[in-house]
Amino acid sequence: MEADELKQIWQAYDKKIEEARILNLQSWVLNFRAFESIQMQKAKSKLGALLTVKWIAVILGIAWVAFLVYLIYHSLSYANIFFVASASIVAIITSIAIVVYIRHIVILYHINNCESITETQKKLASLQLSTLWIVRILLLQMPFYTTFFYTPYMIMHEGLRFWLISLPVTLLFGALAVWLYKNINFKNEDKKWFKLLFNSIEWTSITKAKQFIKEIEDFKNDRQ
Amino acid sequence: MAYPDKAGFLKLIQENKGIIFKICNAYCYSPGHREDLAQEIIYQLWKSGQNFNPDFKFSTWMYRVALNVAISFYRKEKRSGDVISLSTHTAEIEMKEDDTNEHETNILLLQQFINELKPLDRALMILYLESKSYGEIAEILGITETNVATKINRIKNNLKQKFSTIKE
Repeated sequence: MEADELKQIWQAYDKKIEEARILNLQSWVLNFRAFESIQMQKAKSKLGALLTVKWIAVILGIAWVAFLVYLIYHSLSYANIFFVASASIVAIITSIAIVVYIRHIVILYHINNCESITETQKKLASLQLSTLWIVRILLLQMPFYTTFFYTPYMIMHEGLRFWLISLPVTLLFGALAVWLYKNINFKNEDKKWFKLLFNSIEWTSITKAKQFIKEIEDFKNDRQ
Repeated sequence: MAYPDKAGFLKLIQENKGIIFKICNAYCYSPGHREDLAQEIIYQLWKSGQNFNPDFKFSTWMYRVALNVAISFYRKEKRSGDVISLSTHTAEIEMKEDDTNEHETNILLLQQFINELKPLDRALMILYLESKSYGEIAEILGITETNVATKINRIKNNLKQKFSTIKE
């Protein structure tokens, strides 16, 4: 078979598609004429779903931070110092994640499908990949969920119960959070614990994005 | 060329609908999803009109947008597990082999072989089969012309080999 034959088959394909009416183009081009439907199409847009998820995350995040700020404001006293400090740190870490998500939204709105395919696809995949960074940041909150109920009274009067149970638990969570922050990256993707944590369906998009970025690089550098 | 108004845009879509058809078929096996993808492509083409660079040919720009949308759509569908497996597609081909001529079987085989390629290789082959120049393909994909030539040669040989194996 010659190369020209491939092209001839491809050209015949045009006619076949037309005859088979695989896509009902005519009907939705007519729909498109009723231009009001454009907003509906936008809402239905599958690619817009990613934006929706990020907007929901931002709104929920802002609501959570607002709730924490309200609690902090109404708890400002020496007796509640640990609660105020813990809630403040959680609010700050959540705010960082919100800012990153807002940055994602801005990038998504500006993703330009007119750029070259490798360029646009790499940007989109990198965006998905950076979700992993947000997870790392959010994990840093972990130890502060074990300290919000601490009080100066507790430290002074609870004796062994505080030093042998509460504090070790906090230190354990702290160490775990720092360890996860340092180790959650794709250098460790072959490790058992990484697979255990990130092998569920929710994380597939991140691992696939990583693979796709490699595919793009190989494609650009002509590596098979 | 300036970006057309609504009527002009729809005329251009009608004129180039073959491109959209083929891209949708290459990245989507389920008829329902193909329609979704085609709508998405047209919507994005209209939306991206503000970024249309009159220095480019309309078709070059259209391929960029359509292929970008198709690849993103394909990746999303694949993640959600909505992509119909190639075996379903192949079954369709086998079923038709009995009652169609060789010509039509070749079309279905070529379609299947293209669908088996990686998403970026698929885009490359679609552009090649659409008789785009190496320069234009390089511009659409964002790679060098030499790279385009090397890849096309390799994939073409693969396709030819697959055709020969099937026909033996």
